[in-house]
Amino acid sequence: MSASATARPLRQPIGVVREWAVGRSAGLAWVGLGIIGFYAFVAIAAPWLAPYDPNAYLARPLQLPSSAHLLGTNDVGQDVLSDLIYGARVSLLVGILAATLTLGLSTLVGATAGYVGGLVDSFLMRLVDVLVSLPRLPLMIVISAYAGASLQTTILVIGLLSWPTAARVIRSQVLSLRARPHVEAARLFGGGTLYVIGRHVVPAIGPILVAGFVGQAGHAVLLEANLAFLGLGDPALKSWGLSIRYAINVKGFFFGSQWLWWVLPAGLNLVLLLLGFTLVGVGLEALSNPRLRRHH
Amino acid sequence: MTTASLANTDSTASQRPEYGRTLALYGLTLLTVVTLNFVLPRAMPGDPLSALVDPDSRTYVFADEVRDRLTAYYGLDRPLPEQYVGYLGSLIRGDLGWSISQKAPVADLIAAHLPWTLLLMLPSILLATAISLLVGGHAGWVRGTLADRALLVGCVALGTAPVFLVGIALLLVFSVRLGVLPMAGSSTAFAVYSSPFEQVVDVLSHLALPVASLTLVMIGRDFLLVRTSMIAVLGEDFMLVARAKGLSDRALKYGHALRNALLPVVTRFSMQMAGAVTGAVLIETLFAYPGMGRLMLNAVGARDYPLLEGCFLVAGVVVIAANVVADLSYAWLDPRTRSKP
Amino acid sequence: MLDVQGLRVHYSTRRGASDGGGARPIRALDGVSLGVRRGESLGIVGESGSGKTTLALSLMGLVSDAVIGGRISVDGRLLPIGDEQAMRRIRWRQIALAFQNAGSAFDPVQRIGSQIAEPIQTHLALSPADAVDRAQALFELVGLPPDRLHRYPHQLSGGEKQRAMLAMALSCDPELLILDEPTAGQDVLTRVALVEMLQRLRRERSLTLVVISHDLTDVANLCDRVAVLYAGRIAELGPTQAVLDDPAHPYSWGLVNAYPLMTRAKDLWGIRGVAPDPSAPPSGCRFHPRCTQTQDVCRRESPELSAPNPSFAGPDRLVACHLGGLQTLLHVEGLRKTFRDGRSVVEAVRGASLTVREGEVVALVGQSGSGKTTLARLIVGLETPDAGQVIFQGRDLARRREPIPLDARCRIQLVFQDPYEALSPRLSVLELVREPLDVQRRGTRAERDEAVRQALRAVNLPDDRGFVARQSHELSGGQLQRVAMARALVLNPKLLIADEPVSMLDASERAKLLQLLKRLQNERGMAMLLISHDLALVRKVSDRIAVMRRGEVVEFRPSHQIVTWPRHEYTRALIDASRGESPIGLVGDDAVPRVDGVRISRGPVEAVTGRSPSDARG
Repeated sequence: MSASATARPLRQPIGVVREWAVGRSAGLAWVGLGIIGFYAFVAIAAPWLAPYDPNAYLARPLQLPSSAHLLGTNDVGQDVLSDLIYGARVSLLVGILAATLTLGLSTLVGATAGYVGGLVDSFLMRLVDVLVSLPRLPLMIVISAYAGASLQTTILVIGLLSWPTAARVIRSQVLSLRARPHVEAARLFGGGTLYVIGRHVVPAIGPILVAGFVGQAGHAVLLEANLAFLGLGDPALKSWGLSIRYAINVKGFFFGSQWLWWVLPAGLNLVLLLLGFTLVGVGLEALSNPRLRRHH
Repeated sequence: MTTASLANTDSTASQRPEYGRTLALYGLTLLTVVTLNFVLPRAMPGDPLSALVDPDSRTYVFADEVRDRLTAYYGLDRPLPEQYVGYLGSLIRGDLGWSISQKAPVADLIAAHLPWTLLLMLPSILLATAISLLVGGHAGWVRGTLADRALLVGCVALGTAPVFLVGIALLLVFSVRLGVLPMAGSSTAFAVYSSPFEQVVDVLSHLALPVASLTLVMIGRDFLLVRTSMIAVLGEDFMLVARAKGLSDRALKYGHALRNALLPVVTRFSMQMAGAVTGAVLIETLFAYPGMGRLMLNAVGARDYPLLEGCFLVAGVVVIAANVVADLSYAWLDPRTRSKP
Repeated sequence: MLDVQGLRVHYSTRRGASDGGGARPIRALDGVSLGVRRGESLGIVGESGSGKTTLALSLMGLVSDAVIGGRISVDGRLLPIGDEQAMRRIRWRQIALAFQNAGSAFDPVQRIGSQIAEPIQTHLALSPADAVDRAQALFELVGLPPDRLHRYPHQLSGGEKQRAMLAMALSCDPELLILDEPTAGQDVLTRVALVEMLQRLRRERSLTLVVISHDLTDVANLCDRVAVLYAGRIAELGPTQAVLDDPAHPYSWGLVNAYPLMTRAKDLWGIRGVAPDPSAPPSGCRFHPRCTQTQDVCRRESPELSAPNPSFAGPDRLVACHLGGLQTLLHVEGLRKTFRDGRSVVEAVRGASLTVREGEVVALVGQSGSGKTTLARLIVGLETPDAGQVIFQGRDLARRREPIPLDARCRIQLVFQDPYEALSPRLSVLELVREPLDVQRRGTRAERDEAVRQALRAVNLPDDRGFVARQSHELSGGQLQRVAMARALVLNPKLLIADEPVSMLDASERAKLLQLLKRLQNERGMAMLLISHDLALVRKVSDRIAVMRRGEVVEFRPSHQIVTWPRHEYTRALIDASRGESPIGLVGDDAVPRVDGVRISRGPVEAVTGRSPSDARG
């Protein structure tokens, strides 16, 4: 098998494995998109899809599934299924809003640093280096503690702490773009900074931004679940992470069979949604990165 | 950690730093951590610190003694710059304040809890790195085969899942169904040991599932990076030369390929640390493990700000220290950074 | 010792679905057969894409992702290609390869010493300490100080790495050493040092070498025999000196002529056309689209290696060409012509012989009155020889028993010395150039006019109506000469004889016209016999030079050789004269030195890099 592992003529471009990914990833990206679309639909149509009001105390707690409650009830007698359906809302909402915030900040900082260069670049990148070295979850915990747990806090915290990484990526793209002849030509024609950025830079990094956005959204969903699991999320919101938290805090939880109907669906949905974002991210990245598309 | 961030992150300063710049950078980070600690509570809407001593607020601390300690520690009756200097002074002295909820010096509490977290994180990181190097390296070596694809799918799935889900799954299998490993805690409560060996075994058995959960998830995330790095290295000219020399598979795979492939992995270590810390906090919550994460969360619930800040500071220091170690080991691993040709 | 039979290496490419259609294999090597005797050194020359590196890798069994056919045997035993375990034992121990790019050939995180000791320990089972000792000895051998053993690759210079690569290749005492571009990327001085070292090593250790290179100097210095590789097949195989001095295959000829040498003053001309696509090679002979002597059979069948046609001297020469290599267009043998005018007898041509091959430029130089023009007229048929043969494309034109057929006539054309005389002053440019076509009644009037326009364009003259209507007396000397040339070209001749085409032009026109001639020759594969008295000028464009003196051809050799190492005294005198030195004892217009042993040449012989052929060689 080692024969396949070493080179052909003298050099084997790393593209061979990406080649495989590119070939597959178009299909995979559609699958991912389908998944996200499904959850978006569920989130939007929640009021109609959910059989009950998730906040209503309807029946005896911790019931097993029955015809009335397809997934049973939780520890305070709410319908688990409705709980789950509304959970999709939180995940997607946080994911998208936080990713938007990250996108905005990272593009602003990254593009400025990359394009303007010089002292501004140095300063901004030092800032990014420092921010990246901070322990993120502890910082989130601290901020949540001071600001109180709410949806806004969650979104802000995730968005504000994720932008440094993305900013680096954008900066390096902008740097390489800036040196490209067509951008230089635009500057020679007398194009102002904003014009050049708008007309040449942004469209060129567009694919990167989109791929980055998808990645950030997925990451945000994960962070939200983590925060909710830790009890730092908005307690009024029906988050999957929160559901799981409540579930395992029930005394003797693990010895009943309730976990099957309560934790498993929540967990699976979480994993599925995250997988959706990952798949789309892989597909977009392969498409947007021109190096990966060459298959000589 | 999605693949989008894996592909083309290029670190500006911390990829192959010169020592002076590294130290300066980390010094700056440390300063930032400290300053953040100072600034955050004072900048938040609602002024949480003053609220502690304000009789009208919800968070008013009733115990006089505690309130006095807080005022002294935070310097709430002094102007801002003095507070900062005072804060720095306390830090240098090792005084991290007094915990409102646990009624003990914060430093002591942290000293009691930190070792458990380190006991959880260090083996996980080491195991995860070692295993992902071996498994990822092998996957890169046999790229395209069924084994590789199976591993790819498995690890991507593992890396996507939130760490607490993995923990729950392991719990259910090993503790609940099989009853082999304990469910929570760092050691059996109120246990009396007949020998140190027994104690070690008890601690290890409690450590097993938490470490396993953290390790699995970290492997899931690192695997792809190692694999990609390995494939890139295998395409290099010197690998063809090594093969031409008639060396064995082992020599090629480990002596040359993996040795080079692990360089980018080490570079990204600072990112792994963030994930490890996050994972540690979540796992500690799930397994009721008495580490820093639990301490911190308890502090949040009790609005125990001094404890909270102390934990954050220590967490920052630990992460920075780990990054310094990673940078130093990179320099040791890659001789090209050591001397300018 | 090494025997390769019919080696075929077809890489499979995996092109994505976007390419449509199936994957086409890249035929890097398509039937290569060669042999190397023990102790011998074989050079493999070719350009990028010819398959040289694939050949090197194949000999080591390192080719992957390809379909491999044919046999490789070392000392009579087949190489177990495909059996990785078996190949491992052979690699480095029996056959070693010094890789092309020494810069990236070393593992960057390990010290050089340990990388050199590695194969020693693996194959020779020496202890680590012994292996290090051996490595040190190897370093001495290649001229590297032992402290380099402890360094990392990035701490060594390019030349040092090249030597270390060599030391590593020699580490297990291989029987066969393959060198892939041993001096690539090095500066000239390093190159010389490396070649000297390789020569020394070869002598001391009686190595069997295969040297793969695109650098002909390396091959000339290191190899006994050379194989020219083109598009995955061997075009020519033979003793190095013979192949480089007098290449038989049209491709080898183009390659050698495209190669800059200090001794050659000639301009560089590339080979026309483009290199073939390895996944879709031409049918038949791979070179045929770029070859100027393509026949039908060349398009259909691929030629095997066989003996070249007799005009090529040298033992054991093989060429893959249906025509046996570059064909001889013109063979003049023992021509004689004597003019009698009343009482005066002038022996204009006294037994002159020369040849002109396909696509080459032969210059005929000599003083005025040496018989050059007469010779030209004899060849073309304006005069009848008293004796001797003029064989053009196999047919003897001098035997005028039957009239020279029309088509033969147009294959040789003559451009006269004086354009004013050569062109009728009363005709317009159009009529002048069209005349040959009119006489031969080729095509319709319109077609002929178009041919005229093409010919005018080929000589860089305007082809608009205004110009072609001009009469010859309205044109300058340079323009006239070009018109004469256009006239000669309009029939698409195979051989163009140009008699002093530039002597009446001023310097700038002269240069331009010569370049034009050379370009036409390159583009059309036309051969040329260029007659001139100006040696310096002729150096620029000619491949071989025939020196004529008093009706005889006294020396006829490749131009770079004649100019640098002239053999005949007369030639030497001519060269000195053209350099501005006047030889002793110039008497009259003959410029022949005294035969009684007075040395003429006082000028310095040019310093030469590269090997100089001994005078004993033919």
